[in-house]
Amino acid sequence: MSALISNVLTQVFITLIAVAGVYVLTGLTGMFSLGQAAFMAIGAYASGLLVIRAHLPIPLAMLLAVLLATVVGYLIGYPVVRLRRDYISLVTLGFGEAIAALLNRMTTLTGGASGLTGIPRTVGLGVTAVSAVIAIALVASFKTSKYGRQCIALRGDPLAAQAMGINVTRVKMIAFLLSVALTAYSGCLYAFYMSYVDPSGFGWKKSADWVIMVFFGGVNSLTGSTIGAFVLSGLPQVLRSLQNYRYVIYAVLVLIILNFKPSGLLGEWELTPRNVKRLFAGRKKPAEKKQEEV
Amino acid sequence: MSLQILINGIATGSIYALIATGFALIFNVLKFSNFSHGATMTASAFVAYFLLEGAGLGLVPTLLVAAAAGALIALVGEFVGFRRILLNHSSATYFFVSSITLGTLYEGLVTIKAGSNFFNFPRFFSTPTINIGAQVISTSDVVMFCISMVALLILAFIIQKTRLGRALRAISFDRDTAQLMGINSTRIIQLTFVISGVLAGIAGVFLGIKYTLYPTLGSLVVKGFIASVIGGLGSLTGAVIGAVLLGVVETILLSLLGSGYSTIATFAIMLVFLLFRPQGIAGSNVQEKA
Repeated sequence: MSALISNVLTQVFITLIAVAGVYVLTGLTGMFSLGQAAFMAIGAYASGLLVIRAHLPIPLAMLLAVLLATVVGYLIGYPVVRLRRDYISLVTLGFGEAIAALLNRMTTLTGGASGLTGIPRTVGLGVTAVSAVIAIALVASFKTSKYGRQCIALRGDPLAAQAMGINVTRVKMIAFLLSVALTAYSGCLYAFYMSYVDPSGFGWKKSADWVIMVFFGGVNSLTGSTIGAFVLSGLPQVLRSLQNYRYVIYAVLVLIILNFKPSGLLGEWELTPRNVKRLFAGRKKPAEKKQEEV
Repeated sequence: MSLQILINGIATGSIYALIATGFALIFNVLKFSNFSHGATMTASAFVAYFLLEGAGLGLVPTLLVAAAAGALIALVGEFVGFRRILLNHSSATYFFVSSITLGTLYEGLVTIKAGSNFFNFPRFFSTPTINIGAQVISTSDVVMFCISMVALLILAFIIQKTRLGRALRAISFDRDTAQLMGINSTRIIQLTFVISGVLAGIAGVFLGIKYTLYPTLGSLVVKGFIASVIGGLGSLTGAVIGAVLLGVVETILLSLLGSGYSTIATFAIMLVFLLFRPQGIAGSNVQEKA
């Protein structure tokens, strides 16, 4: 396999893990985090620093970094999950800016704007691919678990969900923390793959990018979100010359989808053995079942 | 010295107030957070910059052009981003995505045109500072404060005293009922976006003067959001109070802690506020309706 393709695939897999996290938060629970990339930054910086400064073994450093991000996520989430969902977007957006400012400022520890260098490059295509598969399997089983279904219920109507006995605050927090942990883990992989991190790549635009990927493929479908992430994060890596136009093209595509097929490309369709069988049997069941979320 | 910090803070706060009210207006009417507001600010400031480049015009024409650009951008945004979602009565999450996407679109367009460069508005004032007694105040701060105040007063007049304002308040209270009463809700929502765009345009130019003009300038909209949260989401009065408070506190923190840590500190203040008084200063907490 050529080096270019393996490089692109590795980065796509790292993005996939983060997008799986965003799917839990946005697709399942209907909350938007515009500071999600900041948790990736925490994962990347914390694991990198633990290895460089404290000489911890890499898996332990990653574990600690993910834990740290989750604790920070809990502190941010605590006041926010009990309020209406606008707050989580506003607060995480502020959090993202604050983390960026902090990383730029703590020059002695983080290297400031010039970035953190010297992280050993130990992660390759294999590890990221396996991690991505595990992350997606984890999210898929979360979706069908009790909590996943509670998430979907409260996304539609928090009040009704509460009336049904769902602890809305708690379920929101669990979804938020799961997405934070996944994103932080993708940050760890990112650090040990790139061997270099700097604060500029973790702005709100990256978080927005992930949300767009989730919606592109279908906000109610993990399969759709995964495909969306795969296509949208892979294409620009291949078409480097279009870098500047990339966001514009994305945005126009998503606006078209939002206007004419708001449920995304795949709608609610999931890649399960049963659905695949139906697809090949030529029955139009999935198409008939298709309904727009109101 | 301390008086000077106070004056600087109030001047900064008045810009934040423009941002926060522009954001709160949309929140009021459509009940969602408009994340394209920041990019609207940047885009309209850049339009004004490039249209008037080399013309050597003063501050007022620049502001007028930026305001017009902001109004136009917001109007187009309403049409391509929100109209169909609104008419289809789709879930509120789509408003979020639409606004995030619009923000990315505007920022992308600005980046294509401007690259990642920094631009400076021409110097609008012949005397950069004014001395009042022992205090040295920058002219731009004073002018920005005055213009912001005038803009906010006009806004308050429109909201409280005109037919448009009454319609706007009716729609923000209950869109369906307002429509049954003969209010053309689409038209009023369009006008709300226009007003919000005008405020964004003015705020964009001010931010461009205060800092410099660059494609990601719009991320300063965070200050407006924080002000809105502190003041009470959706409340215009609260947004103004929150903004001025934020401006003053931030300026004080800036002189004590420097730029990086003051951002953290203002963020922490917002979190504490949410913990103990989530309804904000104004106390109007918009709850999800059943």
